[in-house]
Amino acid sequence: MTRHVMETELALYAAGDLPFWRGTLVKFHVRRCDECRSLVEALRMDRQELRRSADDMPSDVDWDRLAAEMTANIRVGLAAGECVTPRERKVAAISWRPMAIAAGLVVLLAGAWWLNIPRSDTETIGRALHSIATGGRAGSPQEERGPVVGASPSGVELVENGGRMGIAQGGLEPVMFSVSTQGSASARYVDQDTGQVTITATYVQ
Amino acid sequence: MSKKIYLALAIAGAASLHAQALNHKIDFPKDSPVSLLSEDFGNSNATARGANLIEVNAALSLRNSGQKRIRSMTLMVSTPDAAGKGSVSVPTLDAGPGETFSIHIGTRLVRPLTAGNPSVEVTIDGVLFDDLSFYGPDLLHSQRSMIRWELEAQRDRKYFKALLAASGPEGLGKEMLSSLARQADSSQRGVQMVRGRATNLDAERESQFAFLEIPESPVEVSGGVARIGASLAGAPRFEVRNRSNRAVRHLEIAWIVKDQQGREFLAASMPADMTLVPNQSGQVAQDAALRFDRPISIQSMSGFVSSVEFADGSQWIPSRGALDQTRLHQLVAPSPEEQRLSQIYIKKGIQALIEELKKF
Repeated sequence: MTRHVMETELALYAAGDLPFWRGTLVKFHVRRCDECRSLVEALRMDRQELRRSADDMPSDVDWDRLAAEMTANIRVGLAAGECVTPRERKVAAISWRPMAIAAGLVVLLAGAWWLNIPRSDTETIGRALHSIATGGRAGSPQEERGPVVGASPSGVELVENGGRMGIAQGGLEPVMFSVSTQGSASARYVDQDTGQVTITATYVQ
Repeated sequence: MSKKIYLALAIAGAASLHAQALNHKIDFPKDSPVSLLSEDFGNSNATARGANLIEVNAALSLRNSGQKRIRSMTLMVSTPDAAGKGSVSVPTLDAGPGETFSIHIGTRLVRPLTAGNPSVEVTIDGVLFDDLSFYGPDLLHSQRSMIRWELEAQRDRKYFKALLAASGPEGLGKEMLSSLARQADSSQRGVQMVRGRATNLDAERESQFAFLEIPESPVEVSGGVARIGASLAGAPRFEVRNRSNRAVRHLEIAWIVKDQQGREFLAASMPADMTLVPNQSGQVAQDAALRFDRPISIQSMSGFVSSVEFADGSQWIPSRGALDQTRLHQLVAPSPEEQRLSQIYIKKGIQALIEELKKF
């Protein structure tokens, strides 16, 4: 049984590209093997046909330009393909650090406000903002005109010159309260156990 | 994780640094008929938050160190640079010589941070005895109120004693239940009084007062008007005439407001310092405005003379008969003494109330 030469070596043999010693051995085998010889003949015929086709190309072909045009056409094709293919929406990766810094700033500002701004001022600012939001229909325009005394279920209070004085009796709710046009407010409390009555009041200076 | 704990501890520490102990001073004169037995300012403190927030929660134990029975007492509470003054009064006392009583003070003040160390001072403004004599500087004009409370107490105790004699415990009990029902039914609204420049308030119209006539009143009031607007009323003025044979130096008019639903409530009192000799007329005008904390459409206003002080310091108050004959009983708050007696009735029963009425 004769062992055939590999097809790749036959192709190289047909083109005369094998080294001398290897080419001599293949030549010796091809003379005795009809199958390999016919394959070598077929390869030589293909080679001749390819050479004839190459002779039909214009002699002044600029191969570099041709390669550049082919590359450009490939890129245009790829871009066109992306246009018609549904794209996945890229979600920006959210980092926890900016969020943590922002939350810390909010806590810091809220703490600074709580520590430094009296609740009464916060309420005043809230009322002013509400007044602005409602076009000045709400709010208390008279509050800035002079000292104010007030009486309500939460006790009595005086607001004067930016200061504030409120008087209550622990968690008790007054049984009655009133204001006077001379600038005082009073509230009356009754101790449920002893019946002792306590009256608290504030006075404009 | 440990960093978070440190941060929380730092914040808590910063917050606690702002709270500081409150300096307090209780200043009773050496000749005071009341002496201080003990004081407890345990829950009082001052917190720096843009301004000094001063919370006063004090309990004072006091003793009548004089020779007369004490009927009422007013303490003045103040702090340097704080707005106005405050007071705490106990109008229904009956403390004999050597007896003790207690007063609780709950006050919240706001004052500028630049005002120095936060402190609060408690002083006596007045002590009223059972013979209507008075002790104290009366810086808050508390004497007038304390005498009125005592006159109301004497009036009401006399009324309940007479009722007990006429109708027995059952009649007294019915009257107490009626009083408690009136107290429960009385409607009040949060209200503010703005002093100064009230004539500039955004009032829509001028409205007349309808004054309730009390025939026994030494002062007649008429021709009252005030400017009213949405949830406010102000700049009241009215004519008064002294129809008694004694000179008057002070009077007080109760201001009643009726809303669109027909509900009436006592909105404010209008005190006026003025001298009126017998048959003299005068005009009272107040530069103040009344503002309600909830929207209200004022339909009408009325008023009546609630007290008169004569030149000699004595006072007139409406009798119970006068109050009963008008609808004022539904509007005027019961006296502090009536409220105390009704509380005794609720808690301890009719027999305890009868024993209380027998005391004085």
